[in-house]
Formats: sequence, structure tokens, C-alpha cells
Amino acid sequence: MSTLLDISGLSRRFGGLVAVGDVGMEVAAGSVHGLIGPNGAGKTTMLNLISGHLASSAGKIQFDGSDITRWPVDRRARFGIRRTFQNLRLFREMTVLENIMVGMHGQTHCEIWHALLRSPQQQAEETAITERAREALDFVGLAHLADMQAGALPYGSQRLVEIARAIVARPKLLLLDEPAAGLNGAESQRMVDLIRMIRASGVTVLLVEHHMDVVMPSCDCITVLNYGRRLANGSPAEIRAHPEVIKAYLGGRLKRRAKPTQSSQPEAAHASP
Amino acid sequence: MRSSLIARLGVALLLAAVPLLQSNAYWVHIFSLALIGVILAFSQQLLVGMAGIVSLGQGAFYGIGAYTAASLAISFHVPFVLAIVAGGLLAGLSSLLLIPIVRLKGSSLAVATLGFAIIVHLVMLNEDWLTGGSIGMIDIPAPTLFGFSLGGEKALYYICLITAAAVFLAFDRIAHSRFGRALTAISQDEEAARASGINIAVYKSKCFLVAAIASGIAGGLYAFHSRYLNPNDFDFQKSIDILIMVVIGGIRSLPGAALGAAIVVLIPELLRASGEFRLLLFGVMVIVFAGAGSKGLSGILVDLVKYIAQHGQRWLLQKPWTARL
Repeated sequence: MSTLLDISGLSRRFGGLVAVGDVGMEVAAGSVHGLIGPNGAGKTTMLNLISGHLASSAGKIQFDGSDITRWPVDRRARFGIRRTFQNLRLFREMTVLENIMVGMHGQTHCEIWHALLRSPQQQAEETAITERAREALDFVGLAHLADMQAGALPYGSQRLVEIARAIVARPKLLLLDEPAAGLNGAESQRMVDLIRMIRASGVTVLLVEHHMDVVMPSCDCITVLNYGRRLANGSPAEIRAHPEVIKAYLGGRLKRRAKPTQSSQPEAAHASP
Repeated sequence: MRSSLIARLGVALLLAAVPLLQSNAYWVHIFSLALIGVILAFSQQLLVGMAGIVSLGQGAFYGIGAYTAASLAISFHVPFVLAIVAGGLLAGLSSLLLIPIVRLKGSSLAVATLGFAIIVHLVMLNEDWLTGGSIGMIDIPAPTLFGFSLGGEKALYYICLITAAAVFLAFDRIAHSRFGRALTAISQDEEAARASGINIAVYKSKCFLVAAIASGIAGGLYAFHSRYLNPNDFDFQKSIDILIMVVIGGIRSLPGAALGAAIVVLIPELLRASGEFRLLLFGVMVIVFAGAGSKGLSGILVDLVKYIAQHGQRWLLQKPWTARL
């Protein structure tokens, strides 16, 4: 599999604090890549650096053949990097369908004068946007809520609307920031299924998540961060068995479920301090 | 969709009938002024209601449009339609001066636009060679079309009505377009809008541009309506009046903005009999209407109609069952 996202030496400092320090990571095209670590490990900072919401202090982000390190958020979004937010960020007073239609912004082109003249081109584009938005809504299973006000939906549904808004434009890379936070067991299971469906539709996923019952079954590859450094990188089985990971973060909880295999030796990039 | 079309046609017919119902030239003159106010309120609604930008500079664009149209008509005898269009375009062009400040947010942006309004007012007041200084612009010719004079109050009323209706339709189309959705998205959550591929600075600038063109056109109409321009017609108080129209009428609603404009222009006139107290009474009314929250007066009216419809329906539905047999 080719590499879609290639991060090298990425750092972000806040004053004296190193939130992310010299992290390298490769995300294979077509994969679901997990990014895990204890609280404060720098996972969300990493996601913000990749989406462009934070500027990096050092390092390089290569995406789909372009160096996007200095690109602003909106340009990265139009180029195919979409995301969801840990604290939901919906357009609360717009309808569910309109929220998702906004997600098509970067893929559409009609300007003000097209709207003023109701040109055939604009009419066709509006129809196409609406159709795509309904498809995306159907994909996440919320077709029946299209005309509801987004802010009035229950928490779990709002998460799904955010995902639909992010995937409606068929991005190359989807960044999910704790999509299972606040979901119950059954909802988490549905989230795993949805992540698999998104991958099957051809979108690469980078998943930041605390819930191991979501991360382990859905990821092809996992990177572990600790104190802003990369601790380990490998398949879910390798990460489960990794002594440094178990020591730093997962502890007894995973030890019980771990099935150590001697053959695969995941790399330990940086030992925790 | 159909009912809204009928409602719009009804309102248009009603407004078209106004000069026939009240043919007193003074009142027709005031009604025209209210329609110019409606266009200004629409321009502010595009900024506040759609993009969440509080502009305290719409009075400046209004003034630029008025002075441009007046100068062209006086010095170059430009036909009034062209003069008004030119007023709109120059106001739009001048809005590009705001590009460096569109990155600001909330109250900082509002104060920056206020600064712009103050500067424009000072130019009008002091640059005699360009604006006539404190004397202003006098002897603006009456509008003519194909040699016919349109100087009558009624003719001007219909010109204002057609323009206001055109601006309404244009902004209504914008609201339901990709551009309008992008502005609404920005007003709700800038970070999420950026993450959806929207360039915030570009869209805010475009919003200022469109709103300034509308304000400039209103200014052009005002030049031919008043036939005399005084710089103090365009001080920052004017910008604040325009904001009041939208806030009391109802943020996010174009009909609400129109209602607010009608109130702000007409109520002080209706209260003329109360002399010194009229501005005080007006101030109290503004506070009361603003108390309705962001829904404004139009929101209260809509709620009232819904309430009546709902209860009327329940009454109709329940009647046969509550009647005991």
C-alpha cells in the first residue's frame, strides 16, 4: 500500500511545553490508522497539526505528494483532509441537511452571480449537492433527520452528522477525534461498523480514540504517543504485546487480553521518560 | 413555497397601493425614505444575520453611494439609473478597503468598521473640492427617464419600491445558495467552516462587498429622493440606526429587517406630535423591541400567528368531541 500521509520530525511547542516532539508517522492509503496514548500525550495536538488548525513548530507533513506543512486549514480541507472535532462543532442553527451541504463547499464552484441569476449551472449544482448530502446522511443512518435543526439532535446523532459532513466530499483522509466519546456500548459497536464502512468506501481514516473496544477492532495500524513522543508503532496485536506500551499506558487492562507473539517485534521509537 | 409566493405578491401589491391610499405628498416622501431604509436594513441583515458580522459602517457606504450618484448627476448629467448603479459600485469598491480588517472578530471588527464610518464622514465634511464640505451637495437634478421627468413623489416611491423588491429577491436567492450557506456556517462556527474548506477572509470580504453595493444603491436613491446631501446625513449615527433596524426587526430574517426599517423611519415621524419626547419614546421602544431577543419583532409576530393557528386548530378539532352527546 502506498503512503498517503507522511509525517517527519513534527513538533509543536506551547511556550516551554513540548506538546508534540519530533514525531514521525506514516499512514498507508486505504487503511484505518489509530493514534492512541494516555491523556495529554499529544493526540489531539497531532490531529490539529495535520488538519492545519495548529501550525507546527518544526517538521514536515507530506500528503498525497504535496508538502502541506504551511497550508491553511481550508486549503487542506479542499485538498482532501476532513475532520471531526472532539467537542462537537456543528452549525447548530442550520438543518442537518444544510450542515452536510456545507461539507460540499470545497467541491463546488458556483459564485454569487450564479445564485442571483439562478443559472442552469447553479441549479444543477444545488441538486447535486442536495443529492450527495442525502446519500451521506443515509450512509450514517440518519436519513430521517434531514430537516431537523442540528443543535436539537441527541449527542450520538450529532456525532454522526459531523462525520457525514466530513465524508460527503469523499476526502482522501478523514481525521476522527474521539468519535466514540460519550457513546454507550451498542453505539460504540455501530461506530466500529461505520469506520469500517468508511474505509470500504475508499477513505483513509486516522482515528484518535480512548475506547480500546473501538480502536482494536477497527485499526490496521496503531501509533502510540506518550508525553508528546512516539512510543510505538505497529499492528493492534503488536501494540497489545508491546512492553513499553503496557507499562506506559494500557497497564493491566490490556495485559489480560494481550496475546504476546514472539515473532513480531514492534519498534520502540522513544522510551517514556 | 407556493404560500410564500402568494404572501410576497400580497405584500408587493399592498406596498404598491400605499401611495393611492395615502396620497399626501409629504407622507409619500416619508414612505420612500422608509423603503430606502429597508434596503439599508437588508444590507445589514446580510452581514449580521447571515455572516454574524456586526458592521457599524453601513452608513458610510450609504454616503459614498449618495455622493457618487449626486456628483455624477450634477457634474456630468449622468442619467439617474446609471448614477445610482455607479453609486452602488463605488460603495462596493470602497468596501475593499476593509479587506485588511476582515480577519478581526466580534466587537473588534465592529469598532474597526465604525472607524471607517468616522473617516468617511470626515472626508465628506472637510474635502470641499470633492464633497462640497459642510454645505454638502445642492441642486441634484430630478430623475428623468427617456426625457420624462420622474421627479414626482409617487414616481420616486415606485422606483424605491422596485429597487427594494429587487434587493430582497437577490438576497433571498443568496441566502439559499452555496454563498449564503458558507456565510451562515461562518457565523455559527468559524473553525468548522474552515475545516469544511471555506476561506473565512475571502467570504467575509465578499459579504462586505455585496452589502456595500446594496447600501450604495440605497444612497444613490437617497440623493435623488432628497435632492440635497448634507454630510451629517451620513455620520456614524446613521450606521447605528441601520443596526437598530435589524436588531429590533429580527436577526436572520429579511422581512424582519424590512419591518425594523419601517419602524425606525416611520415611528419618529408618527410621534412628531409629542415634540421633545419623540426621541425618548423612540428610545424606549427600541429597548422594548430589542428585549424580544434575536428573533425580534418579526419573530414575535410569527410566534403569535403560529400560536393562533395551533390553538385555532385544536379548538376546531376538539369542538365535536367536547360536545357531550
